Amino acid sequence: MQEHCYLVLDDGNIFQGYSFGALPPRTHELEEFGIKRKGAGEVVFNTGMSGYHEILTDPSYTGQIVTMTYPHAGNYGSDNSWSEIGPEKGRNLPGIKLAGMVVKKLYRGPVPEGRMTLDRFMRDNDTPGITGIDTRRLTLHIRDNGSPKGLIVRPSDSSSTVLTEADLEAVKRFIKTIPDMEGQNLIKEVGSEQQEIINPEGKIKMAVVDCGIKANIIRELTARGCRVLLFPGTASSDEILKSGPDGILIANGPGDPAVLEKQIEMIKNLIGEKPLFGICLGHQLISQALGGKTYKMKFGHHGLNHPVRDMRTGRVFVTSQNHGFAVDTDTLPSNVEARFINANDKSQEGIVCDDLNILTAQFHPEAAPGPVDSSWIFDDFVEYAAKNKD
Amino acid sequence: MPARKDLKKILLIGSGPIVIGQACEFDYSGTQAVKALKEDGYEVILVNPNPATVMTTPGIADRIYMEPLSVPYLEEIISRERPDAILPTIGGQTGLNLSLDLYDAGILDKYNVEVIGASIDAIRLAEDRGKFKEVIQKIGLDVPRSVVAKTIRDAVELKKEVGLPLVIRPSYTLGGRGGSIAYTEAEFEILVEKALSESPVKEALIEESLIGWKEFEMEVIRDPADNAVIVCSIENVDPMGVHTGDSITVAPIQSLSDREYQEMRNASLDILRAIGIDCGGSNVQFAVKPDTGRMIVIEMNPRVSRSSALASKATGFPIARCSAQLAVGYTLDEIVNEITGETVSAFEPALDYVAVKIPRFELEKFPTSYAQLGTQMKSVGEALALGRTFNEALNKAVRSVEIGKEGLTALPADITDEKLELMLTTLHPLRIYAIYTVLLREGEAAIDELYEKTNYDKWFLYNIAEIARIENKLKTRPLSTKLLMDAKQNGFSDKRISAITGMGIDEIEKEREERGITPSYHFVDTCAGEFKAATPYFYSTFGEIDEGKKTEGDAVIILASGPNRIGQGLEFDTGCTLASIAYRNEGVKSIMVNSNPETVSTDFNVSDRLYIEPLVFEDVKNIIKKEGIKDVVVQLGGQTPLNMAEELHKWGVNIVGTQVDAINTAEDRGLFAALMNKLELRQPDNRTATSFDQIETCAEDMGYPVLLRPSFVLGGRSMFIAYSKEELNIFLKNGIEVSKEKPILVDQFLEDAFEYDIDALCDGKNVYIAGIMQHIEAAGIHSGDSACVFPAYKSTDKVIKEMTEATVRIAREIGVVGFLNIQYAVKNNELYIIEVNPRASRTVPFLSKASGINLIQSAVRIWRGKDLKTQGLTKEKADFITDDDCFIGVGRPQTGWAVKEAVFSNDRFSDYDPVLGPEMKSTGEVIGTGATFGEAFAKAQDSAGGVLPTEGKAFVSVHKNDREAILPIVKELQTLGFQIAATRGTANFLFDHGIFAEVILKIHEGRPNVIDHIKSGKFALLINTPLGRFAEIGDNAIRIEAVKRKLTYTTTTSAAHAATRAIRYLKKKEVIVRPLIDVLGDFK
Ligand SMILES: Nc1ncnc2c1ncn2[C@@H]1O[C@H](COP(=O)(O)OP(=O)(O)O)[C@@H](O)[C@H]1O
Ligand SMILES: Nc1ncnc2c1ncn2[C@@H]1O[C@H](COP(=O)(O)OP(=O)(O)O)[C@@H](O)[C@H]1O
Ligand SMILES: [Mg+2]
Ligand SMILES: [Mg+2]
Repeated sequence: MQEHCYLVLDDGNIFQGYSFGALPPRTHELEEFGIKRKGAGEVVFNTGMSGYHEILTDPSYTGQIVTMTYPHAGNYGSDNSWSEIGPEKGRNLPGIKLAGMVVKKLYRGPVPEGRMTLDRFMRDNDTPGITGIDTRRLTLHIRDNGSPKGLIVRPSDSSSTVLTEADLEAVKRFIKTIPDMEGQNLIKEVGSEQQEIINPEGKIKMAVVDCGIKANIIRELTARGCRVLLFPGTASSDEILKSGPDGILIANGPGDPAVLEKQIEMIKNLIGEKPLFGICLGHQLISQALGGKTYKMKFGHHGLNHPVRDMRTGRVFVTSQNHGFAVDTDTLPSNVEARFINANDKSQEGIVCDDLNILTAQFHPEAAPGPVDSSWIFDDFVEYAAKNKD
Repeated sequence: MPARKDLKKILLIGSGPIVIGQACEFDYSGTQAVKALKEDGYEVILVNPNPATVMTTPGIADRIYMEPLSVPYLEEIISRERPDAILPTIGGQTGLNLSLDLYDAGILDKYNVEVIGASIDAIRLAEDRGKFKEVIQKIGLDVPRSVVAKTIRDAVELKKEVGLPLVIRPSYTLGGRGGSIAYTEAEFEILVEKALSESPVKEALIEESLIGWKEFEMEVIRDPADNAVIVCSIENVDPMGVHTGDSITVAPIQSLSDREYQEMRNASLDILRAIGIDCGGSNVQFAVKPDTGRMIVIEMNPRVSRSSALASKATGFPIARCSAQLAVGYTLDEIVNEITGETVSAFEPALDYVAVKIPRFELEKFPTSYAQLGTQMKSVGEALALGRTFNEALNKAVRSVEIGKEGLTALPADITDEKLELMLTTLHPLRIYAIYTVLLREGEAAIDELYEKTNYDKWFLYNIAEIARIENKLKTRPLSTKLLMDAKQNGFSDKRISAITGMGIDEIEKEREERGITPSYHFVDTCAGEFKAATPYFYSTFGEIDEGKKTEGDAVIILASGPNRIGQGLEFDTGCTLASIAYRNEGVKSIMVNSNPETVSTDFNVSDRLYIEPLVFEDVKNIIKKEGIKDVVVQLGGQTPLNMAEELHKWGVNIVGTQVDAINTAEDRGLFAALMNKLELRQPDNRTATSFDQIETCAEDMGYPVLLRPSFVLGGRSMFIAYSKEELNIFLKNGIEVSKEKPILVDQFLEDAFEYDIDALCDGKNVYIAGIMQHIEAAGIHSGDSACVFPAYKSTDKVIKEMTEATVRIAREIGVVGFLNIQYAVKNNELYIIEVNPRASRTVPFLSKASGINLIQSAVRIWRGKDLKTQGLTKEKADFITDDDCFIGVGRPQTGWAVKEAVFSNDRFSDYDPVLGPEMKSTGEVIGTGATFGEAFAKAQDSAGGVLPTEGKAFVSVHKNDREAILPIVKELQTLGFQIAATRGTANFLFDHGIFAEVILKIHEGRPNVIDHIKSGKFALLINTPLGRFAEIGDNAIRIEAVKRKLTYTTTTSAAHAATRAIRYLKKKEVIVRPLIDVLGDFK
């Protein structure tokens, strides 16, 4: 059954479509619904042409409604084994973190054996989606005006397909309560609650700070012989150092990096002690710990086709990206090198600091989804760590 | 690294004539490469004997040689030009193979020419199927089980191991020529033998069958710094077994999960690295087993290809241009993405639409091969459509391919279940329509069964079922706004909705507009909207934001020619492209509309705006409405736009140049006959018949032979010559329809007449005759298939004068403003008008280049109000026009002689009789120029691939009527050192005239007969004129065998005569090369 529903933006733009996945709230349910933060959030777009499942399950999208610019979604179904939610155990909140998905055309037909439909997967994971809207218009709007806040919603009257004035009033009121991404600390909503050891046989001890880590980062590390010591995002530097790691990775996560003072302070204590690596949010936190500043980008980088130049080798590779904030290179101390630069908009994509054994990436070398051309960076992480083994 | 400074001059080899598997996509890529290199300051030397191309337009390259693509000519050019480097990867398989030949012959070393773009070693590795597999396995990828067979025995070994079916593919052939699939024991050895003989290195790959697996392609580009990106991924809707060139394909890949896709992506990059392709685009093909996901590498092409052209158009990423830039040292991140103007080329295009390509077949012209597609490509063209969804793009693509279907439609209701079943279970070219037929009847419930039968991925089947569901709704439900929007968003045209609902087209259009359902246009921007597009390249959809503003200022819309087909190909695209350039030079903005992704005209920077849309009235009208432009050019794109002229005119468009009533005077039989009467010109006797009986009466009346044909066709489809009542009856039984609505035209057939072709420009008053061309073959062989000579080689002053006068009068009387093409026949010294085309013809590019006049530019100038006299083309006052000041001019070839030779793709179709007739069958053409007729003809033959023999035995078997004419030719052959063999009758005749010929048995006269001798390689040359009968038994067996053996054969005395003059030239063993001259310097 295709239910009518709407995507309403904070600037008054309304898109009418059909619901898929979990049913979005009716306008009169908004109050109660608000806490779950589903269907409401910052609206971004992702230009990947595949990988909707990985995107859906990526904890970095917490609090965001993702518009897939590629019009067809659900083509090849969904499979739990592709999920990026991170290790099963130690999660305080299982399931999809992303607030909602917007597509042009959802596929509702048969999928390969052993898989389920995207519709079903989203329904099972309590995440609403909207299909049948002009995603091009939405994307251009975001490109030109920045990421708005939005809400996927149904009319109050179950027999009606249109939003009444009253509905709209309720929606507007609710949207105002959606917090700005800038200034938001989302770490408490994701990531492990307790310490955990993965691949205990591993020879290289990699401490990983989980602020909403993607499962594939852990896979990449264990595949390279790491014993992964997973710490919650709230772990202290003492705890981490006490575990005697060969290297420390600050992983990806959602929200505004600038407000994570606790983590930044914690990282300051790690600098120089052990080789330190960062991915995405991790990169932003380490940069800040080094004295740098982050800023909110207009609509960020969300896609699988971003060219990044390694200034050390001159090589350019295609990367998977998902970030709405970036580090301002000019604010970093002079011993820090902006090693990676986005070849398109020249924004900074990662740093290296040889004296302090720091190497970070703003992009996602673990891909999932997207190209794995930069996965060599994990080799470097592991090599650095191995070199520092005592 | 920036561009290399140590290189100054670069040699490019084009792909030669259009053949199936190697079409105008190489003009597109070559033109792009030339432009890119010139922008970087290199001097570019181009060799390509195909006059139809844009790339051979003077001014595009620094020096252009239209010489044969063979080692001696290339050596001569290299020794004259002394290029620093050769770029072998943009001229298709031909350019690649010739570069290898030059390397092997030591010529590149001798003259110190560096190979750029791909190393010889890498090319070899990729092209040798055996070695390629070894490399692939070494890097841990999977290949089909196979053996490289040099003999039948090798193949039988594999068969024991793997069993049938087996796929058989010869090494080093183009478009899979000579390839096949053996299903039965009986055919296995025959097919292996054929493949071995097709391969230039006499080897074939025999391979495990992957029929029914999913097929994918990746367009990859890698630079010297080892940066590599996937430009485009393509999924074949038709699974493995149907050549990708013949498959319906869609970009991007639809049915792979991200993991599967990344695995394929990694494999593609690994393969490029392993093979060593490090500065250019390549194409890698994969098969994936649907249930297990097992991925197998099929092949890679270390060069730009048909798929890369498609990928460029589908994504906006100019692969050929980038490849050329990488070849001279740039890296991907140094090349700006011109579509956005702000990003670099080291990225992977993100699509937010779906691109669907549908091949266009001309299988009705090759009747024996109709039933099945296979691993050998058979389509002659393709159309690309973009839509926001697969369904929208698919329906638009079906419409674009111009086969009379408005979108996916059911097969005729009277189709039998058996036939339907057959179409589903074999690789039938209409398979998707069979699928649609079933889905229309049974809905989604049929998906599983259809999957079992066709192996179309269920994703495709489900989507197609959705189109069927909408059709059924349209049939049964009221046309609600939602339903109408659904239909439009799924690519249904108004015309199609009208056909389903029974409502009028106008009514639907009105309903639609009243409800605000109008087309909107999106940019093709390479980045799914992430960056602003700087280049206006558009496609349409419904119910979405409209991004394009109206074009401001003086602008014109040029309607191009759509998918290539026999009779309407590259020549017309070249015309449209040059017109666009000419308009822009005149300060007028040009807007191009085309659906053919292989072309230069659909390059994003040729015109001010580009629309990839179906060339049908409705879609064109929408563009005109949107742009608010009145002026539309319909004269240059062949019959496609011309046929739209009347509708456009009625709707209020201003047709540029010749007006619609003038077009009708030429196209309408009755009006045209009246005109001929008025001008006192002669036509072959011609009538119109609306019933079978009437056809017979007409024929009896005018006397046999007669020529039968339907009206308004290009390429002469289903034309037929009947020499007797019996033959007439055979034709009429062959599924021909005759009625008031579908009349058949009956013409007196001029037997053994000379045919002439004239292209002219008229400004309404003055006439410039661009050239008078005389055919080598007699009338009755389509002008597109006949070799033709510029100027007339065997004619009288009287005839030339008459033709000149007639052309001028016709042009003025009709009211031509722009182009005019006339075919004349001369029989017994009398002039007949065969046909007048009020548009640019196929020969316009040939004449432009041979005469050094940019005819297209002149036409555009006429349209901009500059008459021919001002243009300096008409200097002489026409004394035969007394009531007005009329000036005329006549074009001449620059070198003295120019010969156009037709090129066929006959060898694609097994056991196909290559005899020529009034229906056009050739796919391409070449030019030969020279100071003598012999030189020009010899070069044309060489370029067409039929190298003339200079010694050996000539076999002569001619019709009685031809005996007198053949005598001097045979004598000449003797003086040239040939021995003569002949069938009994011819031999007796020759003996009577003092020539001794060895007698050869005809097929039914015993063994060894002529076929046996051909097989044993006894003859160097065949002269066989089956005059009067175009399908005589015995003769066709000779011709078929000759094609198989690639023997030179001529079927008319004039062709034999031309051949001897060429052989005389070849005997001198001169290699003369002549760069193209730009007389007026007005080519830009
Ligand atoms: N082993 C196979 N089994 C079934 N079909 C095959 C096999 N190999 C190739 N094909 C089909 O034949 C087509 C042509 O093969 P390919 O190797 O790509 O040659 P070409 O050089 O002509 O492109 C492919 O597009 C595919 O559909
Ligand atoms: N009356 C005729 N007598 C002899 N040959 C003819 C006659 N009419 C047409 N032909 C031959 O048939 C060919 C195709 O006919 P034409 O009218 O030019 O059709 P098309 O539109 O396909 O060019 C001509 O090039 C000519 O060789
Ligand atoms: Mg191929
Ligand atoms: Mg003709």
